[in-house]
Amino acid sequence: MTATVPARTPERTSESPVPPRRRDRRPAWVRALDSTTAYQLLGFALFAVAWQLYGTYWGGLLVPTFTETVLAVGDLVVDPEFWSAFAVSNQALVLGFLAAVVLGVPLGLLLGRFPVAERLSNVYLNILLVTPMAAIIPLLVMSVGFGLASRVILVTIFAIVMVVVNVRSGVRQVDPALLQMARSFGASERQTWMRVLIPGALPSIMTGIRLGLGRAVTGMVIVELLMVSVALGGLILNYRSRFDGAHLYATIVLILIEALVLIGAARWLESRLAPWAVNQRKNG
Amino acid sequence: MSAALAPSPSLRTRVERLSGAQASALSLAIGAVLWEIVGRVAQVPFFPPLSEVLVRLGDMVVTGQIVGNLAESLGNLVIGFGVSLTIGLVLGTAMGRYRRVNAMFGIYVYALLTAPSLVFAPIFFSILGSGRGSIVGVVVMYSTFIMIITTASAVENVSPGLVEMGRSYGAGEWRLLTRVILPAAAPSIFTGIRLGVGRAVTGMINGEMFIAVVGLGRIVTQAGKRFDGAGVLAILLVIIVVAVAAVALTQLVDRRITSWVPQTSKDAA
Amino acid sequence: MIEIRGLSKAYRGQDGSQVQALADVDLTVRDNEFLTVLGPSGCGKTTMLKMIAGLIPWDEGSIAIDGVEVDGPGPERAMVFQNFALLPWATVLDNVAFGLEMRGVGKAERHERARELVTTVGLAGFETKRPGELSGGMQQRVGLARALAVQPKVLLMDEPFGAVDEQTRRLLQEELLAIWEHNRVTVVFITHSMEEAVLLGDRVVLMSARPGQISEIVDVPLERPRSSDVGGLERSSEYSEITAHLWERLREMHAEHGRVGGIAS
Repeated sequence: MTATVPARTPERTSESPVPPRRRDRRPAWVRALDSTTAYQLLGFALFAVAWQLYGTYWGGLLVPTFTETVLAVGDLVVDPEFWSAFAVSNQALVLGFLAAVVLGVPLGLLLGRFPVAERLSNVYLNILLVTPMAAIIPLLVMSVGFGLASRVILVTIFAIVMVVVNVRSGVRQVDPALLQMARSFGASERQTWMRVLIPGALPSIMTGIRLGLGRAVTGMVIVELLMVSVALGGLILNYRSRFDGAHLYATIVLILIEALVLIGAARWLESRLAPWAVNQRKNG
Repeated sequence: MSAALAPSPSLRTRVERLSGAQASALSLAIGAVLWEIVGRVAQVPFFPPLSEVLVRLGDMVVTGQIVGNLAESLGNLVIGFGVSLTIGLVLGTAMGRYRRVNAMFGIYVYALLTAPSLVFAPIFFSILGSGRGSIVGVVVMYSTFIMIITTASAVENVSPGLVEMGRSYGAGEWRLLTRVILPAAAPSIFTGIRLGVGRAVTGMINGEMFIAVVGLGRIVTQAGKRFDGAGVLAILLVIIVVAVAAVALTQLVDRRITSWVPQTSKDAA
Repeated sequence: MIEIRGLSKAYRGQDGSQVQALADVDLTVRDNEFLTVLGPSGCGKTTMLKMIAGLIPWDEGSIAIDGVEVDGPGPERAMVFQNFALLPWATVLDNVAFGLEMRGVGKAERHERARELVTTVGLAGFETKRPGELSGGMQQRVGLARALAVQPKVLLMDEPFGAVDEQTRRLLQEELLAIWEHNRVTVVFITHSMEEAVLLGDRVVLMSARPGQISEIVDVPLERPRSSDVGGLERSSEYSEITAHLWERLREMHAEHGRVGGIAS
């Protein structure tokens, strides 16, 4: 067994290197103007100008111009009233999202591993995926009132479906050859979970958590806009009734920024925790 | 000899051997019975038993509440989805085919896809007022971005070999698009359309709940305000049927148009 | 010694009909023998190997290793998989140490053993790489090292070089021979390549499909060690005679099933 065969140099790793791209011979300033960033800026500038013109000439009562909105954003970020509304909204978001992860990940793992549970749950998960969950808000209000509980539950319901569905498919997609390999080396059920199933499903678990976070933010916004007029949603409705378009738009801009920051952070975490799956991660 | 011929297979193998539709039916039946039992035992206004909900649904159909509002909702859905689909196909194809278009819109479309779409409802309200236009706007915000992105990536990922083949036979840009690229991209595009339909239904309900002037979204809100739990659940059942039927209809169209794709690779997708 | 007696297995096909994967197979693998199993696709060779590994059940018959009935996987056997079956998230070292870890060997010890084997298969310096960063040939070296690390008495190899290119395959064959010549464990090696079967094996088991049966066992009297002069061996008349004979038999099998063409896997 203790073989003393001389070690060989292995063959080269890269079998077919990517062909080098043709050299771009245009001057530097032309290349800079033709770059992705330049087009992104151009796109934004066109949008801002169009908005400005629309707001100025056809806007009416509730539509602010682009510049008014930017100023109002500046207002809001130093406004304690905004931040207290922000805190109240995010309380529901954090609690509901954590509950969705804590409940959804184990549930997804179980559904992925046991085919009977998976088959019986399938139709419900499909229904939950396509049904507008907002329609149950009236029931939530009837049962637990307008308080924090109502909002937390809705956020959880929004997020948990994404978590469960992705974790489940992650477990199911673990290469059966790996499971067979583990078994051939005598892995116990626990070892199989710890060393094969969970690491194998980790990219999908992280995807589920990221998509779940997106849905959680959606849930937070929806419940406040549709039923329980508090916090950020309440702020929006309040500005609307005062015909304060600039602050109405500014609140929406800030909610969008929060959503993008949170989802960006989740995406970053995903690539850190499951780097081997970077090229598998698509259709996000 | 083999397990298949064994006299009494376990419950587990029996469930595993059911077809997808059979398993769904079994599962729904179990759910219905549980709903009835829990509803009867719990005796709470927000979770009445299934039988009560069905009776209420019957009432609402007879009095015309469902049909009229369902028609309104479907109108919003069709107009909104039609606009979305047009934007999705045109902009998506342009983004998939031309680098500069992709550079200009790419990150914004991604951003809008991940953002909570309902926050745009107040914006539509401020521009279009409290009417159908705003609801259609919300439907578009919900459904168009996913279709733009899947179309773009489908067009981008068409095999370069096919495109070169088309060129070598002298196809110009327009013929290349309509005869080679779009047909080749069709299966992936339909994945996006299916997701878009699901999101459009959600947008329709949420938009109608926010701008409560017409449709199922409005009557579900009203039922909630009356503390009519059976009414809310009855409308929810209708909504589920609409959502599932809309997605099923898309799949039907998908299957007719992309019938050349082998079934197995579709199941895997 | 592996003794297989009356081994049979039937699957239920998609159309509900019975497919006889293996029908009444008898085979004895001697200790320290390098046995290659050759046959067209669907002849049940991989099925038989996985049964020896204890990974899939059979309907009738028995498999015993040194007189002990096979009942699930065991520590005296280790398998090398066709598509490598490496953990994509684990480093080369952790992949090689996987079997030891499953047996509860402590981290320091298993890493030390794994390091030795990584060197044996010629991957020194690649310990911290992940499988995605390696070529197919290098990945299968990891698979081989992982199997050798648990010091098995029986090495089960399921078309291990089927997924690599021709030159790499040749290198891997030479290295496998060299390693085996230093450490003569019992090897059961599945392949669909005649050349590979003859080059590596002491005996070649030829199987036929529908139902999966052993049609012939051919002795390969080529001299060992073979690793040093593979090219010369292939020019020898014995080698040509055996491959010619095998090809004749395989062609008959294909003719019986009304198919044309080579031996697809």
